[in-house]
Amino acid sequence: MHVHHEINDDIKFLAKSEIRLKILSELYEHPDDIRGLVKKTKITYSSVSSNINKLEANKYIKKVEKKYHLNPLAEIYFKTLMDFKKSIEIIQNYDSFWDKHNINQLSISSIKSITDLKNAQLIETTPIDIYKTHNTTKNQLIKATDVKAIFPYLHPEYPELIENILINEGSVELIIPRSIFKAIISPIDESLKKKAVKQKRLKVYTVTESLNLYLTICDEKMSLGLFKNDGSFDQNRILISTDKKAYEWADELFKHVKHVVRQ
Amino acid sequence: MTNIQTKMELNKEFKDIKYILTSNMRGKLLLAVYEIPKNLDELRNELKKPSATILHGLKELETINLVRKAHKYYELTSNGYLLTTNMIKLIENWNSLSNCEIFWDNHDLSAIPDDIMKNIYLLKDAEYVSSTTSDLSIAFNRYIQLISETTKLQIILPIYSENHLKHIIDLLNSEQLQKLELIVSEEIYESIHKNKKFRKELLNNKNVKTKIIDKNLKIFLTSSDEFMSLTLFFKDGHYDDSQILIGRDKNTLKWAYTLIKHIGAELCENK
Repeated sequence: MHVHHEINDDIKFLAKSEIRLKILSELYEHPDDIRGLVKKTKITYSSVSSNINKLEANKYIKKVEKKYHLNPLAEIYFKTLMDFKKSIEIIQNYDSFWDKHNINQLSISSIKSITDLKNAQLIETTPIDIYKTHNTTKNQLIKATDVKAIFPYLHPEYPELIENILINEGSVELIIPRSIFKAIISPIDESLKKKAVKQKRLKVYTVTESLNLYLTICDEKMSLGLFKNDGSFDQNRILISTDKKAYEWADELFKHVKHVVRQ
Repeated sequence: MTNIQTKMELNKEFKDIKYILTSNMRGKLLLAVYEIPKNLDELRNELKKPSATILHGLKELETINLVRKAHKYYELTSNGYLLTTNMIKLIENWNSLSNCEIFWDNHDLSAIPDDIMKNIYLLKDAEYVSSTTSDLSIAFNRYIQLISETTKLQIILPIYSENHLKHIIDLLNSEQLQKLELIVSEEIYESIHKNKKFRKELLNNKNVKTKIIDKNLKIFLTSSDEFMSLTLFFKDGHYDDSQILIGRDKNTLKWAYTLIKHIGAELCENK
């Protein structure tokens, strides 16, 4: 299948000039005149003036009572361009997290919303704290009431952590490989399990194919881990966030994986 | 001359989008290998450019870790895939806006939050319908036709229109419409409430759930499992019943669902 997409001339026109982009980002914040723009941006009067003319000729801005304003439609075009800029920043800021990692199980929609992770924090292990990533998610799991998680591998502490959540009347929804189902679920107290399943507080979806994603949503906190391209799980890095946007992002991703798994 | 420091700062701030979006070759190469890895021959045939040009572009993309070469085939790295997916979103956002530029440019968009506007690519397959001077009710008739075909509706209703309300009540009374969620402002709610028929057959109907929001809504959004429709207000504050955006695909429905969810979250009162 061929993707029919092309970067059109309007996008190029804006992206081509840093000066035009800077002027638009200033006007997006506050309408201003040329002198004000020169003062704020430190770009010369002649450059500001000539680019203002080009932007006006292309209907991106208009002059109202001595000040230049972004046209409403131009404002949306500009926002989408800045959204793309932010997505590049997120890719670069967490470069070690994405680079050489398997992202096959991220949905297209979650990749297109990657800017929702803008306030996320990259947690990396250090030589003096080699369990930092595991302990971070473990702490989230200990404090959580409602947990949704994709566990692609078994950690010996998981059964107890899950059991405690259920003891405290919390709910747990898991997506795990079939191969670890027994090991993760069997150690949990039988009557507790039965009660939780009956009350719909324990749901487990198993998959036969491999899971290439580690995701926990503990109440409103999320953490995300990836596999390296060589097939091993990267235990040294996770992306965590307590931000609402990131929580919603993770929740969407969980729903997506669940949907794929159930199909 | 703009001084060197300012130039450097500007360059630093925008260099990535400029680098990706303004080159004729780099963007095309990223898109060409987006879905499947390709070798040089395939890229040359597809892009109709000489090998040297293509190899130069690929080298540049390899240097910034967006593309890698594996067994003579060029493919996106994970960073390259993330970036290209977002570049496609940008292109689709612009296409989606320019396809219905009259619609977006004519209206007050203040009711649509930034985060939802930035996903306007989801409306890329939506249909823009406009009334004409020979038939002023094309948009309205299409709307009535749409709501007549569904059993469940969610409507953000920013206007008091007897015409609309009568049709909705007919659908409820005939049991074609089995579930309706109405989101209205206090002012619109009061207007509907004053009308005896509307109060009885709409507001007091057991199949109707009304939610009241404490601000004036500037958006008329209808959503069902089968379609969504959107009409807006002119910038001068008047409602425009002549232009409607209609979508039936999964993405459009998702966009509408997100918007209703957002507006629903702002609800202050639930009746």
